[in-house]
This record gives sequence, structure tokens and C-alpha cells, in this order.
Amino acid sequence: MNTMNHASAASPLISFEGVNKWYGDYHALADINASVGKGEVVVICGPSGSGKSTLIRTVNRLEPIQKGRICFDGQDIHARTVDVNKFRSHIGFVFQSFNLFPHLTVLENIMLAPIQVLRREKTMARERAMALLNRVGLAAKGDAYAGQLSGGQQQRVAIARALAMDPPAMLFDEPTSALDPEMVGEVLQVMQSLVRDGMSMMCVTHEMNFAREVADSVWFMDEGRIIETGTPDEFFARPQSARAQKFLTDLRSH
Amino acid sequence: MTDILQILRDYGLLLLVGQYPNGPLGGLAITFAMAVLGILLAFPLGVLLALGRISPFALFSWPSTVIVYVARGVPLIMLIFWMYYFLPVATGRPVSGFSTMVATLVVYQASYIAEIVRAGIEGLPKGQMEAGRSLGLSYLQTMRKVILPQALYNMVPTLLSQFISTIKETSLGYVIGVNELTFAANQINTTLLTKPFQVFAILAAVYFALCFSLTLITHQLERTVTARRASAPTRGVPQVQPAVVIASE
Repeated sequence: MNTMNHASAASPLISFEGVNKWYGDYHALADINASVGKGEVVVICGPSGSGKSTLIRTVNRLEPIQKGRICFDGQDIHARTVDVNKFRSHIGFVFQSFNLFPHLTVLENIMLAPIQVLRREKTMARERAMALLNRVGLAAKGDAYAGQLSGGQQQRVAIARALAMDPPAMLFDEPTSALDPEMVGEVLQVMQSLVRDGMSMMCVTHEMNFAREVADSVWFMDEGRIIETGTPDEFFARPQSARAQKFLTDLRSH
Repeated sequence: MTDILQILRDYGLLLLVGQYPNGPLGGLAITFAMAVLGILLAFPLGVLLALGRISPFALFSWPSTVIVYVARGVPLIMLIFWMYYFLPVATGRPVSGFSTMVATLVVYQASYIAEIVRAGIEGLPKGQMEAGRSLGLSYLQTMRKVILPQALYNMVPTLLSQFISTIKETSLGYVIGVNELTFAANQINTTLLTKPFQVFAILAAVYFALCFSLTLITHQLERTVTARRASAPTRGVPQVQPAVVIASE
């Protein structure tokens, strides 16, 4: 299985080689072979329970795998020499449920990791956090608490928090699924601006318009396998597998 | 009633501070000192035990689990006797009743606090730990900066009610001769011989007044914490109604 993408041809940023994962008897990920190139944007879609989130969570080791190899920037991420904290700080992760720290202000949320992990000066971290807030359009909300923000605002703060570590890659796990419809757009806009800046990205999402507009390739998953990959044009116009055809039909009927 | 007032006039000071300043400090002062010292030392130990209990490493989880189960599984008075005979042997010198009692309370209360803290930690959404870890914070950094501040804040009322229990538990120091409030009351009773009801009514009233007023404070704190958890932790920031309630909260 190959991502068939020019960007990934040279040296992949993230690669899965024969990755398998079980929860007890349940085969959550089965023989995943795929790669994401530098600057590439991959959208992962599929029915619920197909292993999309599990797959994306294996990339920063939130989920362990039982078999196979995952490499980031050429380095086996499960190698014993890898410092998992340092490694994770190079990958931004955005959750479906935002997971902002409710006891900290928006600014403190963004500054926490740069200060604790990168040992940045507080004033520097604050300056950078302000710039990032500005970038996601929330410059006025620095002193607010997460509970005082709307879902869309919280998710934009969560993106800013991840960006504060200057990660070369970002993982999005259904970033808009928990949002009211009118807030989806503001989050997708921020993500699109990241794509324009050349951010490498893996994104689990049901936002097919987003996939069509910004993805370099689409991976379709079902029952723990990647059963189809292709450019968005190919995938949406001519899905090969019966399951992908059914999935797209179901999605459009909404 | 006149008896009670008479006793209070004659022995009130003894109940409050013991023989002080002509002898050692005692009475309510020592009761309070033991309770405060006990809970202050038990708290950090309880947090450590809780961290041990949820640790994935058997090296930490086993000993903490054993300590917690044993201390919670025996009567306090047994623990007191045990400490009373064990501490002098372990340290190689005589240990005062006060120190013995404080040490016992620390172990006993730490075990209860450990389970409270553990519940507080496990009650937080799993995503909080995951968010911290995926930013590159270590497990302990995430605990210190993300998990514990939230868990402990939610637990303040429960911890205060542990303090109230501790105050009552100090009365057991009487059996190993600690010069605390119950001990002072008993001294008075032995001196007077004919007024046990009046003496012990005073004793009960003092414990009740102290513990009940703390209970009222606990209820007030509980309401505050519940209210803040329901909205946002505002810490003096003007309250804004959240536009969206998060499912995980």
C-alpha cells in the first residue's frame, strides 16, 4: 500500500511499517503501511470504530503498538534511546475535546509547555503566546479561563497551545466533531492557515470539504485497515472499494 | 448549671492550656497542636501515597497499597499502642506521648487522605493527562502542574473534614498519657470526684463547638467548589457565562 504522493516519495516524515495493535482479542490496527511526507497533509476518514483515532494516537505514543514500526523523521519512535517527552514536544496534538487546562488562563495554557519543557523565559513565552493567540484570532482572550470560551474558541486556543512548541508536524483527532456547526468554520480556517505555511499534518475528520480543499492525500480506513488511499480528487470522484463508496454515500445523505 | 460555671471558673485555664505557664502546655492547646501538626504532615505523605497507589511501577504501588490498607484496616487505638512500643525501639530513645500520637495520626490520616487524593486524581478527565503528556511534559510535571492543582482544589472540603476527624482522634492520646483536652478533663474529674456529668458535659461541648464550627466552614467551601466547578474557575475574574458546556466536565 502506498500513498502515491509526490511529497512523500523523498523521505517521509512519518512512516508506518507493518503496524498492528490489539485490545485484547480485538484487532484495532491491522498491517498499517503508509507514510506522510514533509509538508504533506493527510486526511484520515472512515466509519466510527475503524481505527482512525487509534492510528493517529500511535504517532505520538499515546497508544502503544504491539507489532511493526513507526518512524518519525527517520527515527524509530519506540527505540529505547528516544526520550518520549522530547519526542512528543516535536509533534502537536489537538484533541476532539480540546482538553484545555481549566485551572489556568488561556495564556498560561499556552505558556506551560514552553516554560516547563523548553525552559523558556517567562517573558519570552508570554510574548510568543500572545503572537499565537493573535494568529488564531483570540488576542483579547489571554486572561480568560477555558470555561469562559466557546467550543470553537477553546479549540483555537488548543491549536495555539500545540503551536507554542514549534512542532514540525501536527496531529488532529477529530478537531471539529465536538463543536456546534457554526463554530466548525473558525477552527478549519486556522487549520487551513497552517497548511498554507507548509505544516505537515495528519487529520482525522469528517469534514470532507476540508479534505477536498487542503489534503494532499486521503486515507480511508475500515476495521483497523487502510483500505484505500489517494488524492482527494481520486478518492471523492472514484472511490475504488465498495466500503468507501458506501461511506461516501452515507456521508452525503446527511 | 452553677456547677458547670464553677468548674469552668476553677479549671477553665487547665482545660485550655494545661499547667502552662507553671508546667507543660496541655489541654485544648495540645489537642489543637496535635491535630494541626498531624494533618499538615499527613497531607504531603497522603499525596505521595496516592501517587504511589496509581503508579504503574510495582516498586511504588505495592508498598503504598500495603501501608494504606493496613492503616485503614486496623483500629486507631491499635495503631497508637503499636507506635507507642515500636517508636522507642526503632529510634533507640524514649519518645514523648505527644510525638507518638502525632506520628500515629500522620500515618493514619495519610492513608485516608491518600484514598481521597487518588479518587480526586482519577475523577479528572483522562484527556488532562494526555494533553499534558502530548505537549512533552513528563508524567511528574503533568501531575504537578495540571492534575494535582485541579484535584486538590476539588478536595479542599474533604480535607477539612479529615481535619475535623483528626481533632476528635487526638482524644485517644489520653490512653498513652498525652496531656491533651480529654486528659485535662479527666484530671479535673479525678480531683472533684463527685461531678463526672458536669465535667464530661463541658468536654463534649468544647469538642462539639470546635468541630461543628469547622463543619459549617466545610459546607460553605463545598458550595463554593461546586459552584466553581459548574462554571469556570474564575479566581476573581468577572464571571462570564460559558457559551458552551464541555461534555467532559
